[in-house]
Amino acid sequence: MDFALNEEQTLFQNQTRQFLESKGDLTIPRSYMEGKEEVLEELWKGLGDLGYMGITISEEYGGLGLGDLTLVPILEEMGRVVVPGPYPETVAFAVPLLQAYGTEAQKQKYLPSIAEGKRKVTLAVLEASGELAPSEVQLQAKVSGDEYVLQGTKILVPHGDIADTLIVPVRTGGTNSEYGISLVIVDADQVTLDTKKQISMDETRKMVQVTFNEVRVPKAQLLGPENAGWGILQSGLIHLNAALTSTMVGGMDRVVEMSTEYAKTREQFGQPIGRFQAIKHRIVDMKLDMDSARSLSYYASWAVENKTDDMVEAVALARSFSSEAYLDIAGKNIQNHGGMGFTWEFDCHFFLKRARALENHLGSPESFRETAAVEMGWNGKKALV
Amino acid sequence: MDFSYTAKEEAFRNELRTWLQDNLPEGWLDGTFEYPEEENERAAFLRDWQRKLSEGRWAGISWPEQYGGRGATLVEEVIFEQEMAKVKAPPIINTIGTAMVGPTLLQIGTDYQKETYVPKILNGDEIWCQGYSEPSAGSDLAAIQTRAVKQGDKWIINGQKVWTSFAHLADKCFLLARTENTGKKHEGITAFLIDMHQPGVEVRPIHQINDAYDFNEVFLNDAVAYEADVVGEVGDGWRVGLILLSHERVGVAKQTFRLQKLFDELADMAKTLEKNGRPLIEDQIVRQKLVGFRAKTRALLLNYYRHLTDTIRNGRPGPEGSLDKLASSELGQQMLAFGVSIQGANGQLWKEDAPVNANWQKDWLRSFAYTIEGGTSEIQRNIVGERILKLPKDIKH
Ligand SMILES: Cc1cc2nc3c(=O)[nH]c(=O)nc-3n(C[C@H](O)[C@H](O)[C@H](O)COP(=O)(O)OP(=O)(O)OC[C@H]3O[C@@H](n4cnc5c(N)ncnc54)[C@H](O)[C@@H]3O)c2cc1C
Repeated sequence: MDFALNEEQTLFQNQTRQFLESKGDLTIPRSYMEGKEEVLEELWKGLGDLGYMGITISEEYGGLGLGDLTLVPILEEMGRVVVPGPYPETVAFAVPLLQAYGTEAQKQKYLPSIAEGKRKVTLAVLEASGELAPSEVQLQAKVSGDEYVLQGTKILVPHGDIADTLIVPVRTGGTNSEYGISLVIVDADQVTLDTKKQISMDETRKMVQVTFNEVRVPKAQLLGPENAGWGILQSGLIHLNAALTSTMVGGMDRVVEMSTEYAKTREQFGQPIGRFQAIKHRIVDMKLDMDSARSLSYYASWAVENKTDDMVEAVALARSFSSEAYLDIAGKNIQNHGGMGFTWEFDCHFFLKRARALENHLGSPESFRETAAVEMGWNGKKALV
Repeated sequence: MDFSYTAKEEAFRNELRTWLQDNLPEGWLDGTFEYPEEENERAAFLRDWQRKLSEGRWAGISWPEQYGGRGATLVEEVIFEQEMAKVKAPPIINTIGTAMVGPTLLQIGTDYQKETYVPKILNGDEIWCQGYSEPSAGSDLAAIQTRAVKQGDKWIINGQKVWTSFAHLADKCFLLARTENTGKKHEGITAFLIDMHQPGVEVRPIHQINDAYDFNEVFLNDAVAYEADVVGEVGDGWRVGLILLSHERVGVAKQTFRLQKLFDELADMAKTLEKNGRPLIEDQIVRQKLVGFRAKTRALLLNYYRHLTDTIRNGRPGPEGSLDKLASSELGQQMLAFGVSIQGANGQLWKEDAPVNANWQKDWLRSFAYTIEGGTSEIQRNIVGERILKLPKDIKH
């Protein structure tokens, strides 16, 4: 029994921290917000050089062949710095799906270029309502010869403006049901996509509306069997939700650290404010939430890597708990910083806004709890992962 | 990271399970066992249980084999608590003796103390209590005023202890008293082993909010301790007192596992109770709240395991125990409060008239002590803030 990071994982953690510090730490999201989009390119290239883009890719396709757990320390470090970029979507959604369902040609085409840091992949799943449900997948894919013709609009596509590849659930059959949904892989440089940035509070995670207007993609771009895409999507989302949770834990870790440091140095009434129990105890409660989120997320990733029976429950519990706790303690962090915390120039708001961006993304805390309830065998309507 | 147990640990678990199957009181596992209501009968029942445990060498598993233990590892101790919680085994009446006094004497006691006291602890022949708190020394424990004065080879003790759990059943007490006034309150304290059946000791049970009498006032009027019953050095009692507490190394585990069980009971109750003709568990608010508790009980357990991993790696526990204590006591309160709350208007009834099971009301009331006993939640937050986060120290005098 061993519930801590092992040597290899600690090594990845230290390396990632050093790398992100060398790139400017919290000035990374700030520069990005201010329009210097090249920081994302540099970051991506650096991650590729370190081999981090291929951690979960098997060795025959140029990766390291490691499991989800190895991503945990790296994702946490990225969360600590609120980095921009579809890293979780690429390594913890696209990669596991391509490995599990991709054709040999698809694997050859995508996995090595992802591993080299030359390809960013995102997930274009949500439509007008922003809800994740089979009935909401209405983007139509009509067969025309050996092509699909895509017609419809996806919203809230993370970094949809710069992604090289999009994984898109489309409707190839049915009307509202799970049956009839298929996943297609769309390469941005092969087609013309109409993208429009959505104005999101979290400017470090760009949200994009992508309109597919008579977009033609070869049938060979189908990921997995036709009409069975909903289930495949869920199996990818398990990895992605575990990964997003790890980034939230990293953000929580940073927020606790910021509050602690500030409470030691900021003085009022002739005392460091950390001597006041109202502050001290609040920070302890924040730490407790962070620890709990981290434990749940470690276990969730372990469960996913080992495909345990309680894998879905584990991810749902970790995700619902972290979504709420992150938002809560990011707010408390502002309170602990007083007026300083309320300024644009100080970094507190990055965390608050990232927490808000992730809170209901791909499922609300309530929906994840409902998933856990059903997994525990409590009868009721199965909600969505 | 590896969340599984070794084969040896699983074998240990199976051995304990088999033993429990064979030795738990008749009717315990199928729920037909009736706990003796009367105080003395209950004490007799618990003493019997302690004897049975010690005969099976299950009373103090971390103790060395030569003293009747199994030299169990920390993980085995945790498994032990897990299994005991699973069957809601009767409590160990002499837990202060087995968990704290015994191990302390084995660590720093004299040969005389080991020979005289240790063998009677495991089998429950002598039950121990812990005399630390006083009317004006609770959170500020070092402010104790009970005085011990040397007369020949005896120490004469005068003062008052309070909140002393099981003092009314106890034969012996591990007691802190002031032997010198140096002006510094952590100095001049000495730890004594005293006999509770002597004229100078008077015990008055205190009536608790749950209508039980588990803790007591203890009045010391010329009570006697012998020179051979000083633990450690005279004047070194603060340190010795902390050593005793440091042996309570699986107390949090116990509470953590109880809460896993409590969660199951809570969910089961929500499946049986109905609202508008539907099981309560289908009510969205109840369901959401329950899964929230599920996440928190899981987090508590996993946090505990992570801290245990640190303890095993470092060879000693750190201040993280305070985090676990804080979280478990507050979560326990919340879950019990919810458990009574979903019983509706009838939830106010207790004892024979309790709507589901009288334990819900009794345990809910008992839960108000969780955040007080063993160091209040405020004190735990100070400990975490100061020792883990290294925030500035609280104002102290
Ligand atoms: C069921 C039960 C069993 C017990 N068993 C034993 C036993 O066997 N042996 C024994 O010796 N003792 C025992 N105790 C006593 C227990 O250790 C004390 O009650 C506890 O340490 C608190 O002390 P107090 O009751 O004097 O409260 P106080 O210390 O007076 O606290 C009152 C309130 O003030 C707060 N407070 C105090 N200091 C601070 C501070 N610095 N910062 C912020 N807030 C503060 C506390 O958190 C609390 O909310 C038991 C208590 C209970 C409830």
